[in-house]
This record gives sequence, structure tokens and C-alpha cells, in this order.
Amino acid sequence: MLTQMHVRGLMFDPYTNAYIIILRDDSNTEMLPIWVGKPEASAISFAMEGITTPRPMTHDLMKTVLDTADAKVISVVVTDLKENTYYARVHLHYEDSEYSIDARPSDAIALALRAKTPIFVNDDVIRKHSNEEMGRWLENLKPEDFGKFDA
Amino acid sequence: MENGLVKLTVQGVMPDAIPNSDSQVVILQDEHKAHTLPIWVGAAEGTAIRLAMEGVIPPRPLSHDLIRNLTEQLGLKISKIVVTDVKNNTYYASIYLNSKQSELTVDSRPSDAIALAVRTSSPIYVAQDVLDRLAPENVDPWLKMLGSKEFGGTV
Repeated sequence: MLTQMHVRGLMFDPYTNAYIIILRDDSNTEMLPIWVGKPEASAISFAMEGITTPRPMTHDLMKTVLDTADAKVISVVVTDLKENTYYARVHLHYEDSEYSIDARPSDAIALALRAKTPIFVNDDVIRKHSNEEMGRWLENLKPEDFGKFDA
Repeated sequence: MENGLVKLTVQGVMPDAIPNSDSQVVILQDEHKAHTLPIWVGAAEGTAIRLAMEGVIPPRPLSHDLIRNLTEQLGLKISKIVVTDVKNNTYYASIYLNSKQSELTVDSRPSDAIALAVRTSSPIYVAQDVLDRLAPENVDPWLKMLGSKEFGGTV
């Protein structure tokens, strides 16, 4: 089963020096944090804030290549979590066929935001992501940790 | 050589000479070493180019690996990339893709285009006109570095 999720925020994790994308479902019952690198965090932040750059950034190019070829992104799915690594797939429609391509969630989400396609998460991933770990992490968060992201 | 185009290869990716700069410089040269083209790129794109040149296969596909995988799966072949223009110190590039029916052209930053070219073994060209407009003072310091021990330095 898949749950549709939306990017609800992006924050800086001072403990790991990385950025975290926060995905939530519509009813706000499920939440999934995904750690991403700085360039991918910028790519996601630009798309969330509707910032257009004078020259196409890498994920803009990704979308333009697909648009130019008339390939359409249908959805992206966060499919698995293995040894702290999240896996995703980009689903595409091109010339009457469907394709599914392996990607990091960060790239998949950066592309989904630009292509305005839904983001799904496999329910197994949500289950695997232990609530206990999540609670501990949330307890450690301070209000000033929010909004630390600068693109 | 294609009409008005000079074929270049990536000689290396170096840190910018300006201290604390986040930029990296991709050095391109033609086969006779008659032309050198330095192109400033962001840290992420510089790393993307360097990793592919070093043959590093990351455990998970990086952004440019994903673009290559997307095009390959869809049967689109990158035939070449061309650095087409420079305006106000900004370089412009085009990526040429062959689909079953036609040749497609996509506007790109040179950094992304080069990162894709080194992943797909596609030729890199620059318009002669871009080379003609290069100021020697922009190239000479990098030529000097190419000859020095520091070269080949990775970031």
C-alpha cells in the first residue's frame, strides 16, 4: 500500500550537519523525515518557494530533458528503507510505455515538485521508520532549529 | 571537427584560485592543446564531474547519474554537448539527444552538460566563437597550473 505525502518542510539538522525533508500525509498522521545533501536540499527549497534561477539548475534540466522528449513523470514513490538508506523510484510515461527508474528520494522529490506529480511512500517504509527513534529525535529538537535552512 | 566547433576534453577539475571560494574550475582543452577553456562551476557540479572522471561509482545514483539513467531507459542517446555562448561571464551549453524520430536540443549550464558528457562518453564541443572571445588573462593562470605539480589536484 502506498500513502500520498507532501513536502511539509525542510530543515537543517545541526547534529548531522545535513538537511532533512519532512514528508507528511494529508491527515497528518504519518510523518517521514528524509536526510538529504545540501545541493538536493537547495533544489527542493527552490521548487517549494517557486524560485526560478537565471540558468536551469540540475533538476530543472532533468525536467526539461523529459519535457523535450515528451516523457511525463506520473509519480515518485519512496519504496524502501535499508540500512538507513531510503530508496525511491520515478514513474514515467513515454511513447505508450511506462518506465520506473531507481533514484534517491532527494532527486525524486526535487523532480516531483517541478513536474507537479504526487509523491507516495510505501507503507512498509513508514512502519520501518521506528516511532521510537522519531520521538527521541523530536524531543531533541529546539524551536530555533526550525528555519535554519538557507539555500 | 564539426562546423565552427572545436572538440575539447576535460583535463581536470580544480579548486578556484580565490581563497574560500565555493567554486571549482573545470579545465577543458582541445587535442593539440592550442585552446584552453576554464569554466567555473558550483561545488556540487564540480564534484559530479570529478567523480565520473575518476570512475567512481557511488552506491546510489547521484543527480547526473539519474539523468543519464532516465535518458538511457527511454532510449534517448546523448550525441554531444556544445558550449554555445558566453554572455556577461555566463557560459551557455546545449545537450543534443537522439530519440527514435528526431534530434532534440536542451539548454543547460555547461556544468550539467559536462557532468552528463563524462558519464555517457559523449563528445564535448565549444563554438569557435566562444574561444575567440576568451581573454588571455583568464586562461594564462590556468595554463600555468596545468604545467605545475599542483595540477590533477582534486578538491
